[in-house]
Order: sequence, then structure tokens, then C-alpha cells
Amino acid sequence: MSTTPVTEMVVTVAVNGTTYEREVPARRLLVHFLRDDLDLTGTHIGCDTGSCGACTVHLNGVPVKSCAVLAVQADGAAVTTVEGLSEEELTPLQQSFSDHHALQCGYCTPGMLMSAAALLEETPSPTEDEVKVALQGNICRCTGYWNIVEAVVAAGKGGA
Amino acid sequence: MLLREVSYARPASVEEAVTLLSEHDGARALAGGQTLVNVMKQRAASPDVLVDLAGLDELRSISVSGTTLEIGAMATLASIIRSSEVEVSRPILAEVAATVADVQVRNRGTLGGNICVNDPTNHFPPLLVALGASMTIRNAGGERTVSAEEFFVGVFETAVGEGDLLTRIDVPAGGKGVGDGMAGVTLGAHGTYVSNAAATVVDGGWRIALGCVAAVPHRASAVEEKLSGADVDEATVRAAVDGLGATLDPPSDVHASADYRRSLAETSTVRAVMQAAEKARG
Amino acid sequence: MTTVQTEGTTTLQKGAVGQSVPRKEDRRLVQGQGTFFDDVKRHGMGYVHFLRSPYAHARIVSIDVSAALELPGVYGTLTGDEVAILTDPFFQIAAEPGGSVKDYALAVGKVRYIGEPVVAVVAETRELARDASELVMVDFEPLDVVVDARKALEDGAPVLHEEAGGNVSYTGVWEWGDVDKAFAEADHVVKISELHFERFNSTPLELDGALVEYNRGTGQWTITTNNQFPGFAAIMMAPALRVGTDKLRLVTQDIGGGFGNKITTHPQLVALCLLARKLGRAVQWTEWRTDFHQSMSHGNERWFLDTEVAVMADGTMTGFRSRALDDAGAYLRYEPLGGVIWSQVAPGMYSWRNLRLDFTQVLTNKAPCSPNRGYSRMQHLWFTERIIDIVAHELGFDRVELRKKNYVQPEQMPYETPNGCVYDSGDYPKALDLVLDLIGYDAIEERREEAASRGKLLGFGIGSTLDSGTNNFGQSQLVNPELQFSGNNEVATAKLDIFGEIVVTLGTTPQGQSHETTAAQVVADILGCDVDMVHVRAGHDSYWNSHAGFSGTYASQFAVTGLGAVKGATEELARQMKTLASMVFQCSVEDIELADGFARMKENHEAALPFMALGAIPNANNAGFPIDPPPMNARFVFRPQFQVPDKDTKFGNLTLTYSMQIHACVLEVDPETGVYELVDYAAVDDCGMRVNPKIVEGQVMGATAHAIGAAMFEVFAYDDEGNLLTPNFYDYHVPHTLDMPPLKTAAIESPSPFTPLGTKGMGEGGGGGIHCIGAALQDALRASGGAIVTSSHNPYHRVWEMLRHPERSREKVEVKG
Repeated sequence: MSTTPVTEMVVTVAVNGTTYEREVPARRLLVHFLRDDLDLTGTHIGCDTGSCGACTVHLNGVPVKSCAVLAVQADGAAVTTVEGLSEEELTPLQQSFSDHHALQCGYCTPGMLMSAAALLEETPSPTEDEVKVALQGNICRCTGYWNIVEAVVAAGKGGA
Repeated sequence: MLLREVSYARPASVEEAVTLLSEHDGARALAGGQTLVNVMKQRAASPDVLVDLAGLDELRSISVSGTTLEIGAMATLASIIRSSEVEVSRPILAEVAATVADVQVRNRGTLGGNICVNDPTNHFPPLLVALGASMTIRNAGGERTVSAEEFFVGVFETAVGEGDLLTRIDVPAGGKGVGDGMAGVTLGAHGTYVSNAAATVVDGGWRIALGCVAAVPHRASAVEEKLSGADVDEATVRAAVDGLGATLDPPSDVHASADYRRSLAETSTVRAVMQAAEKARG
Repeated sequence: MTTVQTEGTTTLQKGAVGQSVPRKEDRRLVQGQGTFFDDVKRHGMGYVHFLRSPYAHARIVSIDVSAALELPGVYGTLTGDEVAILTDPFFQIAAEPGGSVKDYALAVGKVRYIGEPVVAVVAETRELARDASELVMVDFEPLDVVVDARKALEDGAPVLHEEAGGNVSYTGVWEWGDVDKAFAEADHVVKISELHFERFNSTPLELDGALVEYNRGTGQWTITTNNQFPGFAAIMMAPALRVGTDKLRLVTQDIGGGFGNKITTHPQLVALCLLARKLGRAVQWTEWRTDFHQSMSHGNERWFLDTEVAVMADGTMTGFRSRALDDAGAYLRYEPLGGVIWSQVAPGMYSWRNLRLDFTQVLTNKAPCSPNRGYSRMQHLWFTERIIDIVAHELGFDRVELRKKNYVQPEQMPYETPNGCVYDSGDYPKALDLVLDLIGYDAIEERREEAASRGKLLGFGIGSTLDSGTNNFGQSQLVNPELQFSGNNEVATAKLDIFGEIVVTLGTTPQGQSHETTAAQVVADILGCDVDMVHVRAGHDSYWNSHAGFSGTYASQFAVTGLGAVKGATEELARQMKTLASMVFQCSVEDIELADGFARMKENHEAALPFMALGAIPNANNAGFPIDPPPMNARFVFRPQFQVPDKDTKFGNLTLTYSMQIHACVLEVDPETGVYELVDYAAVDDCGMRVNPKIVEGQVMGATAHAIGAAMFEVFAYDDEGNLLTPNFYDYHVPHTLDMPPLKTAAIESPSPFTPLGTKGMGEGGGGGIHCIGAALQDALRASGGAIVTSSHNPYHRVWEMLRHPERSREKVEVKG
């Protein structure tokens, strides 16, 4: 946090509970930092205008599009990616996605899960409308969204 | 797309931020980044220095002072939606914020950022003009306050110039006899506006601002005059709005022709006014 | 939200097949552990950025890369001049004049659309490659631009490819029956001067790209990519690179959506091959969203001009004639196959016998077309659905009864169409009744009144459509008689490893179609074991001979070709397993059954060998057998039975199976703004025997979402200078969650008599949503001017125009008699 602007700096970021220290160019997007510098390739890129949400991660607990955040802006922050959702076992949300055929190609799925997981943290039993609003920033071209919404609602009711 | 090389600083105080903005040519304030980072990805704009305002907590506050709702320029749209001060004082701000893009954008995007971009399709420029908001701008020389009309200057241009930092937006508190409305047409649900209008009535006096038709929000003064003090029913409103489209010179693009925008401008205005009138009735 | 009703029987015994078995793919994908090409890294790899043309049409005067090369971290560049020396132009499917089009990996001499790759720059990081591309100096001499297909035909129009003499890539007359007689005898002739199917595509979320490595010692390239038709890519790339196809190892694993749009990346792949060889390092390219929109795989834009429909007094439609003008964009890549593929469904779902289509395809200064979900059939089926809807509208027929009357009837199946295609099975009237029931058709007029009380115009529409699957590539000879392509194939292998694990490989390249799961279901039933015991390798690798010339995932065929190959390989493996067991137990093969994970004697279940034993014997323990124990390893090539069609009469069977979907929707139009909302939607699908009903339903839903997008929001619109006005997701709005209507689905199973499992390919769908939304809009506007819907794409502004000026569309329709 110096007063002299820098083109490169060392960032300290806690990602999925592990703290990383890396030197990055100021211009590097958080999504590229995660994918290329940290080899966490679960977060995806689907557009270049911040429209599709495939890059959604949690930044200090809230879902954001990591393509619209610079890595340097995450200095000192905590980031959760899809890799941080589960350990050995799938979470009820992930299992619900599979049960309800809420993914086909799987490319939008990490972003969808991050948005849905954030919703379920705040609203444990969301309605269909609440789920749609929560996922409005995540584009899917395979499923038409119906099964995804159903999966999140079901996960909310304790996996019903 | 990928950014050009840029320098980055994260000041710890507003003074430091203002110093950085004035000392470095081509420095831009980085608020939520939802517009700026995407614009820089396209290389449509490439400031040399980014001054990250993330550390300036004082710019995030939302409070009521007397009859004024004071919103820090760095208040995110999410915080505006959650704010009980906004809900009590001027709820239209939260209602409109909830329709901007999506959760991820609202978690980062700020009210200050939204208006500093002055994109003609943005939600808040016409709304703040209708509400009669004012903006506080600080620079190395001190602080000044401008009205919303004075704030929106030209094509993607505001009163925030080189070395300036927008710190606060003040909105008059609502109350009895006050009604707000905003209506329009978007490209898909919660999408980009193709046409919008914001209307506010305070004790029978109207402020109506149109977005999407010009570089800056357009005050529909003739309509305001016709409605002033009048009994507001749909027929009266339609009569007052009739002809508004012909006075406008909106752009034509892939989403709407100029004629379509003229027609939508009238419809959006009628609907915003009807909403405001209903709210004012309580 | 969805209901599934199954009618009809399945042709296999009830086991895993026919069940909605959970997907094998899901476990890795929900954990972010999929391997998409951009996830793969190689030490020292260079990142590629393509500098692209800012002009829609221009001569390249000069290219200077020297400043770019001086930037630290830049590894090298590639220009069209190098490409023209090192490679031969890509093979052209078209006959003359289209056959003279020269197409290379980079622009050579000219650029022909905005976004065309001109120079490739390779650098240490993605950002540096992008920076360096800004230092490349290209001098262009702009030329006149043509973006309208109708203008491209005019004398004096700018010519894109001088070698082709003009802008026509293909032209042909397609006529069957006695069209003149049908019109002479018609009671009514309905004329529609213009119908326009607009340009869009499926915008898969993952962009195109590849990681390419070159092995100097062997001359072998390894291409880790997401191209969805590696068979086609290899055929195009190898001659261009002047190598045999074995030198191109194409590897895919997880692909983030394809929908046909990932078939024509071979130009960029060739550029990467040259760079990997030139620079002596692996090179990596990831396309940007804007690049994709500007340059890749637009769906065919097609005009239907001067259409005439012959109708009898009782509503029987006896024939049509029309002129189709297809806009292929700036290069032909997979075209002009679009010029014949529509004829798989020449009569649509209708039984008229007298058809004529004058088909001309032109080149324009726009992105090159390539297959897009529903490729070329969707455009034609939209055309037939517009016809029946307009005929009903103008002549006062009931649109449900008119369809039922004119549909090919179930008792006519298998039905030979006027051009020799065979619709294998289906009950269209029953499907229509089912969708009407789902949507609550009986209550529509009541709903219309209720909507009117709220100031809204309610509309109801039907969109019936076919999804023809398993191509006979012999149809390519109908656009170019010199071509040596015919038939179709797909490959699968099945083996037992040493420890008895069942390992299956596919020649296909799924992008979400669940091949690992459905293949495992088929295998499990044949081998008498659990689906969990079957391991299907993820993705495709051409190095290990698990593919053939037509391998890939496209054109709605996996359920037939892919699963046919799986069935064949597994049955052969099963035969080997039973033979080996019979050798061990010294009995006859007929005494052995595969069940519960064992090969055992039918009469004595104690005499049982687990798969582990079977796998171990030939691999590690094969002494003592008088004859060779079978290897527990099978490779099967599935070949559907096809003839080469007759080139003179353009007659023959072009596709093996015909799935069907009927869509219905209810929408409400705001008459003041033209804004409309889908308030109800239903879709019925019949794809024959469903291996996994939930997966089938998922495909129907996806096709519905794509169609809604195309009807309401998505279009690749250009200005007169050739600028794409919708080059990214900001302006090219695709549906999000809040845009989707409530949906009901149902399924009918009419097994195909022609396929190994009774399945039919079904992923593409056929654009049913585009057809029904257009129909519903026309229905809604009856009450306000009676505009006719003549475009496939109906955004709010177009609906507003139709409300303001219904006469402009009405002028396009005329009824004689």
C-alpha cells in the first residue's frame, strides 16, 4: 500500500485457505492469476466484457467476477474458488447439481456453484425466484438453466 | 482481452488519493472496476495510473443527516440494497440498484462509479437528476458541491476532472407527498437499458429525467410544467407526454432506431410518472 | 416444472439403458477438475495473439513485424506470406466456381472480413503477445464492401475471391415431383415474396483454442484442442501442411460446448502448427469472445425469395417453389454442404410431393459460416413452418388441423420423401396433441381475454421440427460430383485390462452430451455388470487408432453411430469373454452367460470367472491353451448402410434417422412498446429409444434455450462497412436465468427400425423455439394489424415495427384464387 504507483508488486492472497505470495504485474486479472500463476484452473473464462460469470469466485466471502478484478486488488484478501468448495466428498450442492442434471459441458459450472454457494450461505432455503436472481450473472448455453435452478432449490431444502 | 501496462497504488486516505490523482497525469480512480477494468481490457481506455479507492472506508458510509441521505461514492450497489437508511429515506435507490446487471456486479460496482462513467444507458444518472441529488467533489484545492445536472457534462464526461475525486452523493430524503418512479425497456431481464425515464414528484412539483436519448440525462421540462400541480391520471399524463419524442434526437443502433427510442421515451416517461404519482399518494 | 411421459417400447431389455443413470462426467466437473484445453500447460510455451483485420475488404499492401520482434519476451511471428510458402490452400468442398476459393491459415494478399487473422504473434505471456501485436504495422488498401447477400449477386458487386470469378460459391436447382402441375391444379396459391432466416450462432461458453507441440525428431504434432470434429480437421490440415494425417495427433478431453461452432478451427490450428515448428516450442492460443463473434462459425443466413405454395380447397398443401439465397460469409470452410444438407428435410414434416428450391450460395464480407446447431435443416424447417402458419393465417384454416392434415402420418412410416430420404418412424399428430395438452391449449382463448384486460396481446404458436441425424456424406456429391466422400462411420474400442477393468474408448468428442455415461450404460447391459464398473475414457485421442475419417461429435448422431460402435465393440468383447470362459470351463460358448460381473455357466453359477481373471489370462497368464485365448480387446467400426445418392435426380437417402420435436409457446406483447414475454412453454421430443431420459431432456432444454435466444435477442448484425454490431456478450444478449419461461416437457419413443439400439440422434433439436415464437407473435398481432412474421429474429424493435406498420409485412404476402 505505498504511495508510489508500481507496475509490479508482491501480492499476498489466501486462496482456499492457503496463503500465496507472488509477484504480479499490476495489470494481471485475478482470473489469470488464479489460472496461470496458481494453476487453479477450475475458474473459467467465457467472455471479455465481464458478462458471463464463468470466472465467479468469492472475494472476502462475496461472489465477484474475477475477470473484472485485478490480482493486485486481491492483495490481503481471501479468495475461494470452486476447488475450495469440497475436499474428498462432494458438497450437497455439488451432489444436487449432478442429481438434477444441472450441467452438460461443465464449463459454466464452477461459476454457477460459486454463485449458488454464496446464496445458500445467506439464504439457506431460497425460492425459485431468489435462485434465479442469484444466478442471473452466470451464463449457460447448454442447459437452459431450468435444471440448475431446480438443483439449487433442492440443495436449499436440505438436498430434497 | 488484456490490459496495457499500468501502475497501481492503493492509498490509505482520501488526501493521499487526491494527491495521487493530481500528481500523476493520466491517473484514474479505480472504484468497483466493473466498468473500468472491462474498458481497460478492451484497451478502449488505458490510464497510466490506477488509484485504488478500496482502502477508503470513509467513502463507503451511508447515513442520514437531517433531511439528506448521504451516500459515500464507494458504497457498493449491494450495500445500497441492504441499507436500512436507504430503505427508510429514499427506497427507489435500492429498488433500482437491485436491477443493475447481477449479484457479482452489484457486490463490486459502486454508486460513484456508475455515475462517473456517465454511460447514457446507466441506471443512476437519470435517477439522480430526477431526485435532485448533489455530488461532492474533492481535489487538492478543496471541496465543492455540484447539482446532478451540473455533474453530467458530456459524452462519458462528468464534472470530475483531472485530479478530482467524487466523495459523496447527497439525495434529499423522501417523505409525505414524495413519490419516485423509474421505468424503461432493457435488453433482457436486468439487462442494459434501451430506454429509461426517472420521475420524482414532491408536493405536486415534478422532476423528470430521461436516459438513453442523449449524452447526459435529459430533463423533460415541458412535461414537468404541464404536470405541475395537476391531478395526475393516466389521460392527463399521456396528454402531457405527447410530443415529447419529437423533441428528442436519440441515437440509432442495432437495438433500437431513433424513432423507436422516441416512442419508448414517451412510454417510459408515462410509466415512471404514473409510478411516482402512485407512490406519492401513499 | 417438467413432466416426462414415456410412450412406446424400448428395444433392449431393461437394465442400465433406459434409466436416467447419474453422469460419470459430473464428479470431476463439479469440482472444477475438468481438463479443458486452456488448463493444459507446457514448460516454456508461448502464448499466441492473432492480429486481425480492421477492414471488411482490403488488399494487404505490406506487413512489418520488426518492431514487435524487438519487444523483450516476444518469441516470433507468422504472416500470410510464410503461410503461402509453407502450406497449400485448404481443400475446397465446392465445385467450380467455389472450388477456386483460396483459403489459408492466415490472410494471404487480401482480407475479406473484419476479424480475419492476419499476423500471429507469440510471446512469453498473454499480455506481452497482445502488446506486441500493437507494434505490428500492416498497411491495407481498403476495397468496397458487400454485406448483403442479395447485393453480392449483382453485376458490379465487389468480388471477394477473384479466382472464383464472382461471389457465387454454389448454385443448383432441386426439384422433385411435378411442380408445374401442382400449381396448375391448385385451388389457391399463396405467395410470400420474402422470408429471412437471420445470422446467429450458439456461442458456446468456452472459446476456441489449442496448445500445439511439435516433435522435431518424429515430425509429429500434438494438438490439444477443443475442435469437435477431429476427423474433418485432420483431412483439412494434413494436405495443407503437406504431411500424412498420422502426423497430426488431435487430443481433446473436456470441451465447453460446441453446437457445431467448433468444427472449423483448422486454419488457426495450422497457424499454430507452423509456429510450433518454427519456434521450437509449444504454442498456446485462446480465442477471445470478441474474436469468436467476429470470425467464427456464424450460422447460415438464408433468404427464401418469391415463395409460392400450392394449396387445395380442403387445405392440402401440394407443393412449394422458392429461391433460397444462402449467405456463407467470406470463406467456405464447411460450405457449401449447407447447400445440400437442408434437403434431408426437404418437405419438412409435411406430405407434399412437388417441391422446387433454387439454391444459390454467395460469399460476403462477413464472418465465415460453419455448422450451427440445427445446421441448414433448421433454416429449411423454419421455412416450412412459416409457410404452414402463413397459409393458415391467410386462408383461414385452423393451424392445428392444417398441420395434422398435412403431416406425414404415422401409418406412412417409414416414409420416403420426394427426394428419397426415409423418415424412419414417428407419430407427429400424437406429439402435437401431447404438446397442446401440456400447454393447456383449450384455455388459450380465455387466457387471451384475460391478457387483453391487462392491455396485453396474447399469442400462441406451434413450432414443429425435425432433427435428422447420422449423415450420409455421399450427399456432398450432390453439390460437387467430384467429391470422394460417402457414408459415415464411428469407432469404439472395448477391452479388459489386466485386472479386469473394462476400458472403453470413443472416437467422439463430446461437449456436454454425456457420452461417457450413455456409452457405459450400453456396455454395462451387454457385459452384465454395473455401470460403475465401466470406465469410458474422457475425450478423444487420435494417436491410438480409436477413430475413423468421420469421427467427432456433430450432426446429431452419437446415439446411432457412437453407440452403434460401442455396441459392436462390446458385443465382440462379450463374445471373446464367453469364448475364453468356455475354454476354461471346457464347455461350449452357448453355455456361458455374462451376468452380475461374471462370466459363468448358465447351468452352474458356481463355475464363474470374474472379469479380473478374464483380463489376466491373455495379458499375463496365457500358457497351456491349445488355441489362442481371445485378447479381450475389440475395435469396432460402425457403418450405417447407405448408397451414394443419384446426382442427376438428387435422389437418395441422406440421413439414417429423424428425431422430432414439437414446441408450443404462449407469449404476451405490450402493444405500446413491442416488448414481449414468454409466459408458457412446452416441448415434446421423440428421439426413438432413449438411453438416458434425463440426458435427452437436457438436450431438449438446451435446444429450447438456444432457440429462444435466437428468436428474441441474438443476431449477428452488420453495418454497411462490415462492422459486426454485436461482437460480444454486452450487445449480443443471450438468455440468462430471469429470461426463461416456465417449461413443460414430454417424450414419446418411436424406435428407429434402422439403428442398432432403436435410438435416433437428437442433440441439435431443429430450432423449434424459433418457429413457435414467430408463430405466436403473428398470432398475437392478429388483433393489431395482422402483420406477418417474415424473419426468424424478432427482437422488441421489430415487433414494434410490425405493430406500427403491419402493411409492410403484409405486402409480402399475396393470395391467388
